[in-house]
Amino acid sequence: MSEALFFQEMTEEQKYEQFMKRINAGEKIEADDWMPEDYRMTLIKLISMHGISEIMGALPEKEWVPKAPSLKRKLGIMAKVQDEMGHGQLLLRVAEDLMKPLGKTREDIMQDLFSGKLKFHNVFHMEAPTWGDAGLIGWLVDGAAIITQTNMLNASYGPYARALKRICAEEVFHAQHGEAIIMALAEGTEEQKVMVQEAVNRWWEALLMFFGPGDASTTGTSKQDTTIKYRIRTKTNEDLRQDFFTKYIPRVLSLGLKLPDETMHFDQDQELWVYRQPDWNKFKDIIKNNGPKSQERLGLRRKAYETNKWVHEALNTAN
Amino acid sequence: MGNEGFYQEFEVFSQRTDTSPLQYQFSLLAPNRELALVMAQENFMRREPVADIWIVKRSDIRKLAPEEKQSLQRLDNKDYRTTKGYGYLKKKWRHYEQEMLDEKEILSWGGMKKGD
Ligand SMILES: [Fe+2]
Ligand SMILES: [Fe+2]
Repeated sequence: MSEALFFQEMTEEQKYEQFMKRINAGEKIEADDWMPEDYRMTLIKLISMHGISEIMGALPEKEWVPKAPSLKRKLGIMAKVQDEMGHGQLLLRVAEDLMKPLGKTREDIMQDLFSGKLKFHNVFHMEAPTWGDAGLIGWLVDGAAIITQTNMLNASYGPYARALKRICAEEVFHAQHGEAIIMALAEGTEEQKVMVQEAVNRWWEALLMFFGPGDASTTGTSKQDTTIKYRIRTKTNEDLRQDFFTKYIPRVLSLGLKLPDETMHFDQDQELWVYRQPDWNKFKDIIKNNGPKSQERLGLRRKAYETNKWVHEALNTAN
Repeated sequence: MGNEGFYQEFEVFSQRTDTSPLQYQFSLLAPNRELALVMAQENFMRREPVADIWIVKRSDIRKLAPEEKQSLQRLDNKDYRTTKGYGYLKKKWRHYEQEMLDEKEILSWGGMKKGD
């Protein structure tokens, strides 16, 4: 146990140095390992937001379960909604283990969501009025999520990397499920084609916002540098947005759809997509729970929490 | 109500087929073991085939502390424990015009009756 004593005798700086050496060597950090305070706080913020977004993200799609156009589609979207709730549970476990030394639990995560302290992804504050939106969420919102999540598959924090591995495997199904809906509509009647185009128009700005602002100058704060320094992710928000364009723009166009941004093009010299910036003030407002569906969906979550409370109480006495 | 006492932490393990090893899945929160089992199935076995599921209360697990893990570093010379250290026998058996009974050969024997 000489090493154990040795570790306890180390100064904070020495511990930090050893930690950085470990992550730079590609080692994984586990929940009960020593970690710098800002590493822990950054992870808690990132993962609790990710986890709660999975759960809030199931809400716009669940609206389409009873209205799906066929039994096959109903089974498909039901499976996807269930997966998203599963992703949420997985990620909340990762966040909860990180919060444990701070004396916080799932109860705090829920209360922080209700009070607005814990934010969820901008895309899940938006409306999904047609079946075209349901398909588009699977195709492009899950597509965007795949881009950000695969970027963290090698994250230095072991439990998060392992959760993401499970999640990304299921996301592949989600994306194809969305593609199947969109393709059927894009190859359908005039009315169906219009439905997809309108969904693209409706979601365009939200999709650009999904990756977050390019740097702190747009919204005041950005955790990008910290997450890159600590090897939680490798690419910047803008890198990810560009990756998304490169993968999806040709596919969108190939289906005969039009981009709602006529300035958009690929600049060969810079090797970058040039596009019109979304309104970042609107973004800030949306994630403060002022989006078109924010309050309604939070209300639904709160109602589920409160009406199911009796189950907790009943089981508590049974224990 | 005090939610702290409501949820307990469980670790989930499962076996894909009767012959595969038990594999660690992930952890979950549940109020008791029965619900933990139900949730393990819902959370982790939605697609994959599964032959058995175990759930273990996390507090019942004694695992290594981070400092203790350092004692796991292997000495690099373990040839005497593995077949690698006896590889030279192959050449010697050849000298006696016999094939060496290696791991692949031996593990292929399992329960085969003559004429099967
Ligand atoms: Fe997901
Ligand atoms: Fe998904």
